[in-house]
Amino acid sequence: MKSLVDDYYDNKDMCPICKTDRYLSPDVKFLVNPECYHKICESCVDRIFSLGPAQCPYKNCDKILRKNKFKTQIFDDVGVEKEVDIRKRVFAVFNKKLEDFEGSLEEYNKYLEEIEEIVYNLDNGIDVAQTEEKLRTYEELNRQLIMTNMERNKQDLESFEQRQQFEKEMRMKKRILVRQIEEEERMNKEWAKKEIVNRLSSADDVDDVIEGVKNTVKLKKSSARRKLEELNRVMMNNPYLAANSGGPRKDAVPFTPFNGDRDVSKRYNLDESLYSDPFIKDLQERKDFIASGFRVDYVYSRMLTEAFMGLGCVIGEELQTS
Amino acid sequence: MSQVEYTKERKVGEGTYAVVYLGTKQSSGRKIAVKEIKTSEFKDGLDMSAIREVKYLQEIQHENVIELIDIFLAYDNLNLVLEFLPSDLEKVIKDRSILFTPADIKSWMLMTLRGVHHCHRNFILHRDLKPNNLLLSPEGIIKVADFGLARTFPSAQEILTSNVVTRWYRAPELLFGAKHYTSAVDIWSAGVIFAELMLRIPYLPGQNDVDQIEVTFRALGTPTDADWPDVSFFSAYNKLQIYPPPSREELRRRFIAASENALSFLCGMLTMNPQKRWNAVECLESDYFKEAPAPSDPFSIKIS
Repeated sequence: MKSLVDDYYDNKDMCPICKTDRYLSPDVKFLVNPECYHKICESCVDRIFSLGPAQCPYKNCDKILRKNKFKTQIFDDVGVEKEVDIRKRVFAVFNKKLEDFEGSLEEYNKYLEEIEEIVYNLDNGIDVAQTEEKLRTYEELNRQLIMTNMERNKQDLESFEQRQQFEKEMRMKKRILVRQIEEEERMNKEWAKKEIVNRLSSADDVDDVIEGVKNTVKLKKSSARRKLEELNRVMMNNPYLAANSGGPRKDAVPFTPFNGDRDVSKRYNLDESLYSDPFIKDLQERKDFIASGFRVDYVYSRMLTEAFMGLGCVIGEELQTS
Repeated sequence: MSQVEYTKERKVGEGTYAVVYLGTKQSSGRKIAVKEIKTSEFKDGLDMSAIREVKYLQEIQHENVIELIDIFLAYDNLNLVLEFLPSDLEKVIKDRSILFTPADIKSWMLMTLRGVHHCHRNFILHRDLKPNNLLLSPEGIIKVADFGLARTFPSAQEILTSNVVTRWYRAPELLFGAKHYTSAVDIWSAGVIFAELMLRIPYLPGQNDVDQIEVTFRALGTPTDADWPDVSFFSAYNKLQIYPPPSREELRRRFIAASENALSFLCGMLTMNPQKRWNAVECLESDYFKEAPAPSDPFSIKIS
């Protein structure tokens, strides 16, 4: 029984000052102040702090709060809310990037470590006065730099948004074109079917008619398809992508799918027109072979590779190296 | 005696025809796996798969194929000394706590296909590719293993058994009982593995051989004589439910994270007609490997 009552009073949808709760007034809004993170409903904030700074109405809390610092709570957990606020504040001052350290990862890590130290101290109330002082001094000393970095971050964000927008549009266009092409192909197919039937009613040579209609369809390379090709080209030369990925990968080894391990120089040239093996030609015609995916070129290439394999080996050299 | 050279320390697994131990090579301190083939029980000689394994692993040396270090006999048992490989792709796929990225998948596919390409250019069919047989070295390198079903490319008139490859990774021509198939069967398996890596569940899980046909065609469309000449020659082709091939849009929805190039790559490997299916070279030259993101550095993939 007790737990039920406790639950009711602990209910986070109730303002502990005026006891307004969400059940009776669904429009109630809760605010917190980064000084102490005590939750107070909007009307209480208006009532208590309208006339200027006042003490937090919570029992045993002697923080002086100002109305303009109140904000809506984003995270359920006050601890998280507090840390995020601290981080926001610290990062606004310590806003260097890896590039600012001329590529020295060690220096950059030291810098990050320093930031974490400050955040941790502020979050856990260790040497708060001293840390705040440190933050202020740093801000004073580096005001110019902080401003430029802020400007740069803003630009980065903008170009990222532009790029996303651009890619989204391209994808949309592509979808539409692909759908168009599919539609056209379906229409062409139907048209071809009808056309064949129509022409057959007045012609004699069946194969000729079918061939003729098929060729006409092939020639109808649709404008949608051309546009799609154009679009693919644009996407390949994506200006935003190139600007972003071009930099850091330069030193890496260029990608090779075969890891450099591929013998492209064949030791023979196969001219099938000059060689006609009736036995193999016969197999090539058989249904069980065709259906299995049998390939004459595989047979030839194996035979010829095995026959000429030895030409690439110089035994004397191999004996020396082993 | 070579027995002193290799120690067996711990039993790590047992199959129908072999027991695998973890051990050390004494002269170098290198970790190894010893596969002890149970011969004494078989009066009629060595198991076929043991012979195959020895025969083909001796031939092949490649970064992405398991290394056969040595072979020795002890107490009438044949022992294969293999490279020690602690993990495999099946474990990685099944372990929900492991997260991997599209770049990791690309890296694994690249290494797998390099291994497969090496087998094929040496005219060896693997015939049992599955995540379970793609082992991972401590450095994150994929090694194609288990050559128990491998064989050389057949000469023209030779007849092959179609009863190969673990069911879920079996190519359609094998499901139909083809007797003159080619290296395309390995590529199909690689394609199914690629799909499984993206979905993290088996892509074509048939419950039995008949159901496998059904599942395969429901996912990828029933082949017809038009796109696969003479497919109706197979006796198993009769009375098949005809499913339409999936449209690009359907595939896009199934593989949400896949790029267009990744889908083309997948379709290339999962082409029904074995003559038109991509070969290992075409797969490796796919634009999928060239586009961003670049394949991850194997060593950087966290798998444990």
